[in-house]
Amino acid sequence: MAELSQFAITGITVGMVYALIALGFVLIWKSSGVANLALGQLVLVFSWFTYGMLVQVGFPVWVGIPLVILFALGVGWLVERLTLRPLIGQPILALITVTLGVAFFIEGLVSLVWPKSVAALPRLFPEEPIHIGAAVVSQEYLWAAVISVILFVLLTLFFKYHRMGIIMRAVADDQMAVQACGIPVAKVFSRSWMFACVLAAVGGILMSSIGGITFGLVGTGLRAFSVVILGGLDSFLGAIVAGPIIGLAENLGGGYLTPLTWPGVREIIPFVIIVIVMFIRPHGLFGERRIERI
Amino acid sequence: MSLPTGIRSYNYAQDMAVFRTRAHWVWLGVLLALLFTGPLYWGGELLSVANLIGITIIAATGLNILTGYCGQLSIGHAGFIAVGAYAAAIITKRFELPFLVGLIGAGGVAGLVGVVFGIPSLRVKGFYLAISTIAAQFIIIWVINHWTGITGGFNGMSVPPVQIGRLTLVTQASQFYLIMIIVITVVFLAKNLSRTRAGRAFVAIRDNDLAAQVMGISLFRYKLLAFFIGCFLAGIAGSLFAHWTGFLNAENFTMMDSILYVGIIIIGGLGTTIGPIFGVLVIRWLQWFIMKISPVIEALFPNLPAGFTAGIGPMVFGIAIILFLIFMPRGLAHRWSLLRASYRLWPF
Repeated sequence: MAELSQFAITGITVGMVYALIALGFVLIWKSSGVANLALGQLVLVFSWFTYGMLVQVGFPVWVGIPLVILFALGVGWLVERLTLRPLIGQPILALITVTLGVAFFIEGLVSLVWPKSVAALPRLFPEEPIHIGAAVVSQEYLWAAVISVILFVLLTLFFKYHRMGIIMRAVADDQMAVQACGIPVAKVFSRSWMFACVLAAVGGILMSSIGGITFGLVGTGLRAFSVVILGGLDSFLGAIVAGPIIGLAENLGGGYLTPLTWPGVREIIPFVIIVIVMFIRPHGLFGERRIERI
Repeated sequence: MSLPTGIRSYNYAQDMAVFRTRAHWVWLGVLLALLFTGPLYWGGELLSVANLIGITIIAATGLNILTGYCGQLSIGHAGFIAVGAYAAAIITKRFELPFLVGLIGAGGVAGLVGVVFGIPSLRVKGFYLAISTIAAQFIIIWVINHWTGITGGFNGMSVPPVQIGRLTLVTQASQFYLIMIIVITVVFLAKNLSRTRAGRAFVAIRDNDLAAQVMGISLFRYKLLAFFIGCFLAGIAGSLFAHWTGFLNAENFTMMDSILYVGIIIIGGLGTTIGPIFGVLVIRWLQWFIMKISPVIEALFPNLPAGFTAGIGPMVFGIAIILFLIFMPRGLAHRWSLLRASYRLWPF
């Protein structure tokens, strides 16, 4: 029983971080129809940048983390401005593959600047583990969950009440109509990229405070894809719900299936879920089923 | 048409011919002669690069049929190549069957795996399909790494050299001939495929799959056929790769390689036969060049970060993919046809 609640708690908390990263994806997809396949690499580069700020330069946390957020905003702006903006109106294939180019570039950049393949962030959260019922959970997990929830709430409020948030939802709904109202749509694209990068940065920091910085962080970004596929590409709610589900499936499956199958079954579960969802319900749990016309 | 003035077709055979004028035949002859006498004056290193280029051309041609002609983006091509490579290795090593059986078997197995992962393409497209092929990539590599009894798992697997009859192809030069013969066959077949009923169906599906379906093209049949052919060629390439390197490890088939293949056909030009060849030539030579030049640069500038050699390659390719998409979305193949047109019209 202790084992079960242990797996469940870690699963749900990690899943919330996945959901956070996935929200960034959904944001870009909804506002500009671009699939950001560089998500994993973005998570990786922001984690390494955090390492650079906190360990290599030696800034205290309260200086380092805001710098990382600024850096994320800058990266988001640059990526949108340099690669996506010139391709507005191009076929979807070009829009997807250009983010692959970005992914390739970032991966090269990371191995150029930080050739170490593994590193650890300094402790951001208190060390002693917390007992919840019979389960023992280290504090990183809980903090990750708390920060994710805070960001969910902030984002929800932003989309509901802030002018930019309302504009973003409007753009997602009907780009042409919004443009006709005199709202600069390109600016919305660039804002959504900046937001998504900040979410990826926060997700990266949380994940790397849990498991250290490795190339596995690219896999974290890829797990966010299984979250968006399961939740539905164009649904914020879907991402928030599907994130913990993926985390839970991953941890429970990893915990209980490993003796039955090959070891390391944990890392493949999100991808198996992708394939299953594709076969059964390709638009996901909450996604909009689109009817196409010629 | 892209023919010089004054060349007319008087029957359908002439109209259909790939090599139409005497100049075409002369160029073809010169090219083939250069290619097949190559091993006489190329060194071993050049030959091994040429072999890798040949193998990559086969794989890229497969991806080009799938993505360039049929419009189904696959980011799992390296995974399908891995399937072929391991299938060939298992067939020739564990079952001790001849090379040709391994070659065709590798293609068949990879094709079938491709069809399985291509089934979602019947209901989804674009990004969804990209994600499901990424899933394919990871699942395949995971299975290879963990099915230790068959594939050797993380330790990898040694592969015997190609054996045809009593001939054992050990040297780079002998493999060069084998690979080039297969490359020429594949490119020739791919060129013709694009002009058959299936090829035209692929293009129709790429341009608008709903419209294609309304016109009576069976999406089920042709999308899966595209997946089968694309992954069949990936399997063939994988088989040759396995025998060429002699040792297989899943590290050779990462997702980055899959992305590299997509980059190759974009740089070369989607939906053209010549495109993948250009793309592969550019990428592989660039890789080779970077491998050669980066130690020199490191020696010249000792303050460079330690990861310079490892990092500069992916950075250059990433930038190349982005720049080609923005400035030359039709790839080098288009540039090549412009060049040919201006050559024909010279001096005007």
